[in-house]
Amino acid sequence: MASPTASPSTASPLQTWQRETLALLADLRFAILLLLLIALASISGTVIEQGEPPAFYHANYPERPALFGFLTGSLILQLGFDHVYRTWWFLALLILLGLSLSLCTLRRQWPALKAAQNWRYYTRPQQFQKLALSAELPARDLSTVETLLRHKGYALHRADHTLYARKGILGRVGPILVHASLLTILAGAILGAMTGFLAQEMVPSGERFTIQNILQAGPWAQAPANLTFQVNRFWIDYTPKGDIDQFYSDITVLDTQDTPLDRKTIHVNLPLRFRGLTLYQTDWGISAVRVQLNNSPIFELPVRPVTLSAGRFWGAWLPTRPDLSQGLTLLLRDLQGQAFLYNPQGQFLGAIRLGETLPIEGLNLHLIDILGSTGLQIKSDPGVPLVYTGFALLMVGVALSYLSHSQIWALQDGDYLYLGGRTNRAQLTFEREFLDLLNQIPAHSG
Amino acid sequence: MDLVTLQNLLDNSAFALLLGALILYWLGAAWPAALLNSLGTTTVALANLAIAGLLAARWLEAGYFPLSNLYESLFFLAWGVTLFHLIAEAISHSRLVGVATAPVALGITAFAALSLPSEMQQSAPLVPALKSNWLMMHVSIMMLSYAALLVGSVLAMAFLVVTRGQAIDLKGSSIGNGAYRLTRAAAIPSLALGDSAGGTAVLTQAPPTLSPQRLTLAETLDNLSYRVIGLGFPLLTIGIVAGAVWANEAWGSYWSWDPKETWAFITWLVFAAYLHARITRGWQGRRPAVLASIGFGVVWVCYLGVNLLGKGLHSYGWFL
Repeated sequence: MASPTASPSTASPLQTWQRETLALLADLRFAILLLLLIALASISGTVIEQGEPPAFYHANYPERPALFGFLTGSLILQLGFDHVYRTWWFLALLILLGLSLSLCTLRRQWPALKAAQNWRYYTRPQQFQKLALSAELPARDLSTVETLLRHKGYALHRADHTLYARKGILGRVGPILVHASLLTILAGAILGAMTGFLAQEMVPSGERFTIQNILQAGPWAQAPANLTFQVNRFWIDYTPKGDIDQFYSDITVLDTQDTPLDRKTIHVNLPLRFRGLTLYQTDWGISAVRVQLNNSPIFELPVRPVTLSAGRFWGAWLPTRPDLSQGLTLLLRDLQGQAFLYNPQGQFLGAIRLGETLPIEGLNLHLIDILGSTGLQIKSDPGVPLVYTGFALLMVGVALSYLSHSQIWALQDGDYLYLGGRTNRAQLTFEREFLDLLNQIPAHSG
Repeated sequence: MDLVTLQNLLDNSAFALLLGALILYWLGAAWPAALLNSLGTTTVALANLAIAGLLAARWLEAGYFPLSNLYESLFFLAWGVTLFHLIAEAISHSRLVGVATAPVALGITAFAALSLPSEMQQSAPLVPALKSNWLMMHVSIMMLSYAALLVGSVLAMAFLVVTRGQAIDLKGSSIGNGAYRLTRAAAIPSLALGDSAGGTAVLTQAPPTLSPQRLTLAETLDNLSYRVIGLGFPLLTIGIVAGAVWANEAWGSYWSWDPKETWAFITWLVFAAYLHARITRGWQGRRPAVLASIGFGVVWVCYLGVNLLGKGLHSYGWFL
């Protein structure tokens, strides 16, 4: 009689629970549900505005009447729909998907690949009957079949009266690679989130800086304290029409002894990479102007950004009396070398170009220099090498997954030749290939 | 003849050819005739060439890859749809492919040629962000993947129409279900005995001649849809990866959840779900095709909808 293998009474509740959890995680329907849930959560993040202050959600999603009867500002904030992609539940969905991927690879894909490698000859005509694509021909021509199949790119195994041919077994490796690559990308993303940081610095041309203004950092992130950066020069190239063509920063990396370690001129799309740090050119500004009044010493006046209806400007207050009791406003628009002067009543007094001297309010104003500052973004993401490895594997994996694993069996049984075949993906193409094969086998006379 | 006149000519002939193809395929579905069918294929091939010529003329005229505005992008998509239509026909030799895909190609061409105002049809200077070879590669691969996914999902809709009210067993998936002989052949007694698991049955009568069991029309459509989506999915993956790598090189972040990016990811998830639904026991039959049909809409939102969302509309306004 049947002997009990694993009777339910011997398994502890914990073991049962573990087995059931594993079974659920490995269930394809659960994986599909996860994919669709992640898709729905992602959609919500493109429909509900992300990253706005709480007041925005209270104003745009009022309590009454609630949108669709339930979608209120407080609900959005409570469930984190104002930052969907960083909520614990969204990350949990991604991690569950990762677990489901791993289990699926271990429980299904790997055994399926092993099974595909364990091929076997068909030795009895009955074995062909289960295949949809199978045929019985009055022919004695196993060698012709062998030649034809080799011609079609099949790898062959031949015994005396039977043969097995296959191609596209890499199509069974593809999905495994895809799953492995997704896990690698996920691991890289987690590593980056835990150990990476993002900083922004606005640095006047000619000055040095260390990484201070960190905007985002993972719990295990460490900004390098032993590096100093010097902005040797920052400049902008303008098109003949006066539009910005490109920003450039010439940057030197120095160690604590001021020894230069690296130097590069960066611009948008061409960052400086040094020991896992990447410095991007992202912004620019004006830090100061240098002027001289009559024969005074050279003053360096700091400028501040001001937003006017005509756009972004930088302004400085220019004293015209030694006791600072009176002054003018100096406005700059860009680094092209022109400044505009206004009196305290806001009347336009004149424009001055770099190097020129302008008589104004009984003084000679000499504009010596306009100093730009460069806006740099400094990023460290130790996860990137892993993510890129994952990307490479993923591209290879999805491409291989298009291949169809085709197998053909043939058996010579007396005066009859039995042929059968199957493939996992490209049924249409394989059907044509198989029928084509049948047509090319000459029937023997007699 | 100057390039602009040539473009107008090609634009109009692409539309006329696709309209002709639509009529030919639909007539061919109503009154099957080999002539109608091969005429349909020829017409689509000509339309494909006309669109290629149109894009090439604009490339010559503007001096850069013609994907600078909606008009060019729509024609590129229509070119992709006709390309995958021709591939699908070559795989299947089925007259039903054109019945489903010709309306899609015609619709896209009509939208571009007839309903876009003429100032939107002018070749525009490339925005600075697009002045990069990496980005051109990313955009063109994404467009090709949209085209393949649209063709694949419209074929899934055709499959749903053909099989309405029937239970069906899918052919083709990574695990290879459906390669086995259906039991309708088991009406012949001896066939039922040849099961590989038992395998001990002794045949008391001579076996009838074994002959291949061909795919039915529905199975053909289904497998074709699966294969074309199977082409679109790797293209989508490679397109997304190319975009991510480029974004990381340029801005230092390979993923930033902007709406376009997110919708590309959503498209990827929906078609990944489709591919997995095919190998799920109990979910075979029409259910994966329903998912693929939803994918048709998702591709359109990803391609056009996101841009409309991004125009500062109240995002919950027209969309839901």
